[in-house]
Amino acid sequence: MKNSIRQSIRTGVTFGIVHIFFILIAFNSMISVLIAKLSGIKNPGEIPAPKFYIAFTLLMGLWIGIAALNKKHSLSVGKKLLLSFTTSLTTGLMAGVLDVLLAIILVNKVFIRDFLTVLSFDFIKATLFGMTPVMGTIVTVLCFVAAGVAGGALTILNRTEAVQKFWKNIISWFKKQIEKIQYLSRGKYHLFWQIGGISLLALVAILLPMQWGSYWNYVFGTVGLYVILGLGLNIIVGLSGQLVLGYIAFFAIGAYTMALLNAPEPHNLMWGFWPALLLGVLLSALSGLLLGLPIMRLRGDYLAIVTLGFGEIIRILLKSDVLTNFTGGPRGIQNIKGPMFFGIPFNSEVDFVYLIFAGVILAGFVYNRLKQSRTGRAWLSIREDETVARATGVDTIKYKLLALAIGAAFAGLAGGIYASRNQFTGPDEHALMASINVLSLIIVGGMGNIPGTILGAFTLKGLPEILREFANFRLLAFGALLVFMMLSRPDGLIPSSRPKYDPPTEPAPEIDKKEATHGK
Amino acid sequence: MNDPAPLPLVPKGDNNLNTDTAVMKKQKKGSKLLKLLRPALGVVVLLYILFRLYQVLIVQHEYGADTWTRLLISGLIIGGVYALIAIGYTLVYGILFMINFAHGEVMMFGAYAALYSFWGFKLINIPGKETNFLNAYPVIAIILAFLIGMTVSATLGYFLEKIAYRPLRKAPRLVPLISAIGASIFLQNAAQLLFSPQLRDVTNPDILRRGVGWTIVINGNDVILPYTGVFTFILSIILLITLFILVQKSKLGRAMRAVALDKKTAALMGVDVDNTISRTFIISGALAGAAGVMWGIHNGLVYYYVGFIPGIKAFTAAVLGGIGNIPGAMVGGLLLGIVESMGPAALGINFQLKDVLSFVILIIVLTFRPSGLLGEVLSEEKV
Repeated sequence: MKNSIRQSIRTGVTFGIVHIFFILIAFNSMISVLIAKLSGIKNPGEIPAPKFYIAFTLLMGLWIGIAALNKKHSLSVGKKLLLSFTTSLTTGLMAGVLDVLLAIILVNKVFIRDFLTVLSFDFIKATLFGMTPVMGTIVTVLCFVAAGVAGGALTILNRTEAVQKFWKNIISWFKKQIEKIQYLSRGKYHLFWQIGGISLLALVAILLPMQWGSYWNYVFGTVGLYVILGLGLNIIVGLSGQLVLGYIAFFAIGAYTMALLNAPEPHNLMWGFWPALLLGVLLSALSGLLLGLPIMRLRGDYLAIVTLGFGEIIRILLKSDVLTNFTGGPRGIQNIKGPMFFGIPFNSEVDFVYLIFAGVILAGFVYNRLKQSRTGRAWLSIREDETVARATGVDTIKYKLLALAIGAAFAGLAGGIYASRNQFTGPDEHALMASINVLSLIIVGGMGNIPGTILGAFTLKGLPEILREFANFRLLAFGALLVFMMLSRPDGLIPSSRPKYDPPTEPAPEIDKKEATHGK
Repeated sequence: MNDPAPLPLVPKGDNNLNTDTAVMKKQKKGSKLLKLLRPALGVVVLLYILFRLYQVLIVQHEYGADTWTRLLISGLIIGGVYALIAIGYTLVYGILFMINFAHGEVMMFGAYAALYSFWGFKLINIPGKETNFLNAYPVIAIILAFLIGMTVSATLGYFLEKIAYRPLRKAPRLVPLISAIGASIFLQNAAQLLFSPQLRDVTNPDILRRGVGWTIVINGNDVILPYTGVFTFILSIILLITLFILVQKSKLGRAMRAVALDKKTAALMGVDVDNTISRTFIISGALAGAAGVMWGIHNGLVYYYVGFIPGIKAFTAAVLGGIGNIPGAMVGGLLLGIVESMGPAALGINFQLKDVLSFVILIIVLTFRPSGLLGEVLSEEKV
């Protein structure tokens, strides 16, 4: 018991640090604004009414109370409540100390915003719930303790048998529904269901962009482009197992090919969209090949750092004054002409969404076919163990170069469409951060499979666009999410299943045959 | 009893055998081509470099000895900082075989510590005198700033390992790398939210003002040897030597080397592996913190992105010298600093391209000598 209490106090200290950090980055303001908006207030301003700050404190306390009982199953109810009490009291006291410090700043009118940028006097007043400093501190501690004990009680309630049974029932109901759907799609009429599903999806994909309006078209276009990028990088990292960090350089090559051939400045070549796109894809693939040739000997982190260097070289070259006459320098290239489709201008927002969807389908198709081909198996064998792959007769150098070239070609495709859609491309769009974004999305989604890539693109590119509210906190949450994902689900949201081989003992029924050939 | 049938070494069936040898032949052909390609590339690069050097140094003769000295000085100073950061990468890589991507951010927090502690010292007025603490006791102030910076960064390094890397020690290699990238993004944005995104100037004590220094006359021109630069360089060399002695002579250093060689065996010999790794992160964090404070003192500008580029450069330096190799990181850092500042002038290219130069050098070194300049050839498991 003594041990448990010590542990609970340690948890409390951790949460105290988290709470202090939240206050110092004004996370409480953000959540309060969110709560205010949810409760129907139209314009809460940057610093809403104090009651919403109290709501934030209560939520923190609830979280602490629940977390305090994590992995504690064998204690009695009273002891559990005691643990949640000690934990939330520890955090509450730390928050109280912070409140006292803030109050001192407020009373003495110390201008501290040069040091810690969020601590304006208004913000401090709101953090003290608009009360006198002493009252504010006391209320903070009380809020923490009350909500913490409530959280503990909720956890205890949640773990009682009746509630657990209730959850189990709900989950099994959902599982049954999913099984039913799966049965329908696999049974006698599976072809019918598949065609129906695909045509429904196609209908949605055709109709929705017309209805969405430009904002959603922009968001989904971006997500689509990142799906293409993710699939390309998946070929390099997910299938052939080479860690490439400068992937966005190939994207830049595609984008700049499109831009240089289709913009009035600096060259006024005006080749048209399609030849430029094709050339961009080819050039990207070629550059992948050229980069690959000298560095094929490298593996793992060395490869990562060399490709990172390559990406930076491309970016710096594009940005520098050396190539200004050729690529427009730091200003980038503007007024890129959109595509024509059999003589008709094909460059409205909706058209670009269609174009991107077509690109996604093409990329997905190519990716899928490659993955299931002899080439794909060669890549997988290289990923698993290069030495063994070589020993079993896989021409590792050829296949690795092929992976780089094809992955780069995907990036070139995405880059060309991107430049044409935005009618602009500049060096800063191709920074290292973009490469890291693509890598993160395939890892968060689940490496080596298409649904994972799509889900990853939605989570990492779509969600932040939608959650504009969080503006400042987006990237912070993104970083935390990456760490958290790696700790809890290192295989991604949708992990790739490994191909299984079950030797058929009797004449195989139809379903099994399909599974065996599709490798899942 | 009969002997069990020998296991077939080659798959049965002639067809199979034939295709295998055919692939092998192809492979040999391909690798032969590659083997020829690499030296050819090397010769071309070398010839080009010699040609440019000849052009710039003898034909054009644009810069005098004073400019070269100036460039050498700035290169050595920045190289010392790179070396300090690179040591952190090398130590961690040597033990965990992972790129600690967030190391540059650890350094950034050190730089912020310098900024804020100098700022704080300036606010403390000494009663009875006209000056403040910063200028009244500059030596104490600087030592305190270094202590604060190193403590902050060491703490950060410790918790970074504990939270983001330790649970992933047995995971595949990509996983800790992504975790490190996430931590790096998180720390950058945390700094931006905490300290605001604007650029800040570090106020140095008066005896260490920036841009002031000893003047040497070369070729009739003044070359300034800045105090901050000399201070930075000497301190980084001292820290590097201390670290080298620590790793070679102390018990902790022996433990670190043992863990780097083989974790399991080290654990069997009574080395506390977790503890040693934690301490490695503390040491590398403290060095990065010192580098951050130096950056603050010498360069002056501090903002939330300040650690990123030096971080990548330092990693380049570590790879250049042979990653996992401590003297290698020192040599690599100094070399990178010098190449970066003198290279563009020597090759007659635009100064904006100095980063391109350092990355090109990285690619060339890795192509011809993947183990780095001083590194031993790593077994495939480690690479």
